[in-house]
Amino acid sequence: MSPAGCSHVNAYKVDNWRQNLRVIYQCFVWSGSAETRRRKVLQNDAGWTALAKSCICHMCGGHLNRLHSCLYCVFFGCFTKKHIHEHAKNKRHNLAIDLLYGGIYCFVCQDYMYDKDMEQIAKEEQRKAWKLQGVGEKFSTWEPTKRELDLLRHNPKRRKMTTNCTIGLRGLINLGNTCFMNCIVQALTHTPLLRDFFLSDRHKCEMQSNSCLVCEMSQLFQEFYSGHRSPHIPFRLLHLVWTHARHLAGYEQQDAHEFLIAALDVLHRHCKGDTTRDDNGKKANNPNHCNCIIDQIFTGGLQSDVTCQVCHGVSTTIDPFWDISLDLPGSSTPFWPLSPGGDGGTVNGESHLSGATTLTDCLRRFTRPEHLGSSAKIKCGGCHSYQESTKQLTMKKLPIVACFHLKRFEHSAKLRRKITTYVSFPLELDMTPFMASSKESRVNGQYQQTVDGLNNDNKYSLFAVVNHQGTLESGHYTSFIRQHKDQWFKCDDAIITKASIKDVLDSEGYLLFYHKQFLEYE
Amino acid sequence: MRATINQKLTEMGERERLKELLRAKLTECGWRDQLKAYCKDVIKEKGLEHVTVEDLVVEITAKGRVLVPDSLKKELLQRIRAFLAQHAT
Repeated sequence: MSPAGCSHVNAYKVDNWRQNLRVIYQCFVWSGSAETRRRKVLQNDAGWTALAKSCICHMCGGHLNRLHSCLYCVFFGCFTKKHIHEHAKNKRHNLAIDLLYGGIYCFVCQDYMYDKDMEQIAKEEQRKAWKLQGVGEKFSTWEPTKRELDLLRHNPKRRKMTTNCTIGLRGLINLGNTCFMNCIVQALTHTPLLRDFFLSDRHKCEMQSNSCLVCEMSQLFQEFYSGHRSPHIPFRLLHLVWTHARHLAGYEQQDAHEFLIAALDVLHRHCKGDTTRDDNGKKANNPNHCNCIIDQIFTGGLQSDVTCQVCHGVSTTIDPFWDISLDLPGSSTPFWPLSPGGDGGTVNGESHLSGATTLTDCLRRFTRPEHLGSSAKIKCGGCHSYQESTKQLTMKKLPIVACFHLKRFEHSAKLRRKITTYVSFPLELDMTPFMASSKESRVNGQYQQTVDGLNNDNKYSLFAVVNHQGTLESGHYTSFIRQHKDQWFKCDDAIITKASIKDVLDSEGYLLFYHKQFLEYE
Repeated sequence: MRATINQKLTEMGERERLKELLRAKLTECGWRDQLKAYCKDVIKEKGLEHVTVEDLVVEITAKGRVLVPDSLKKELLQRIRAFLAQHAT
């Protein structure tokens, strides 16, 4: 199985073999699937007809039985039915190419041969074809470079991840009411994409001083995935947070949600070294076009449509967001009804135990059209005067990690209290009904009640939950995080215990972290 | 009968779309990974120096067919039926 092929392949590599091989790849292998060719013939596409007509077995006329092309002459034959084998034997042409996958078969050695030069040509032609077809880059398995192979050989220690291993789980010592920080750290260290970014050393620091929070995060990931089981003491992290987010300094209990936003903000600012450079080698300094890992993972787009009630003109803005803050029933702002003439019914299969509010209810309320009232008239660009309007929020672009913040802490002028209303949330969430695109199709009268099972773009899985116990004055934060596919653990500062899915779903819920189920290349 | 259906599907590009969909779904449900793991087992069993592509094809074709989830078979059948109903002449 060496990449040097066999002697018969080497015998082929004479004269103009490269060009000949390229032509075969271009015209018959990567020119589009057998279906495309067939379709074009049936549609009487002249240019393709000639090509496709030749692309069938010269013995039986079929094209679906692993068709191969002889490398020495113009002959196509089925592999499954051994038609190409017969040709090889009769003409002593001992090489053929698989038209579906581009593999080179040697009839003497009776197996597919791997030749480095031929593979190179195959790959180049495939990329060219993808570009022509407008497909862009497709997934191909990782092949280590020479340097990577050397690195792997020089560092033979391997850490095996079995289904029950606890690598990645570590407690965090409470340094004085720092549970608000600990639970966010647990959520972040268990965000798969963030973990992959830091464990593959992708941060290139450009800060002169020692106060880069991203470097500290990198260190934190090293600690968490080191395999040590003793609790970690995050004193350096705490110190850096105090330095960069003064409003969170001090030994009082802080709000975990505020800490999350502050941490993401500082990380985003300190990621300057990792942002993409434009063609002149200058860094993209535009805050709206940052491409740092924080933006790639957490930033979504929230669309706000303001519709004038008189001329029905719509004014749209899109703002970036890192989290969605949801009002709860029991707060001073009325929760029900969800919308003028709202509809009922669950979407995500959450339990509506004796009328319990669901996360979907909260999201529907968040995205409902809201009459702004006569005291809040907006200047309408169409009418050129102040008119009453309705405003509606929808998701324009969903982040890879969606964080939902249930507004349990009420700080109105009159009272400060915690809202403990139970909100049931699902393990799997489909955000399709809340997308801007869904709203548009609803407006156009194409309302889809059933979620299209074949569209997986908006499906999310729960992977972390932050909970608050106690009152506003004295409380404690804990978190649940997900390890592997179905294992959940409760993180209470330094103590990590196994938890059941029921424990997680029955908990009150303050911050809910969901991860996109299916990731696509951009 | 099968030939006419095949032709209709190919003509309208539906066969290609179904193939792409099938590819994606089989990857998502882990079928591809399962078969990949099985390939590795076959290679270990037969020995890296002696196994041929044909050996693998023979071994995994049978196993692959069995491992396709019933729900996926149903889904695809439904789609084909719906398509034919929509485009009946």
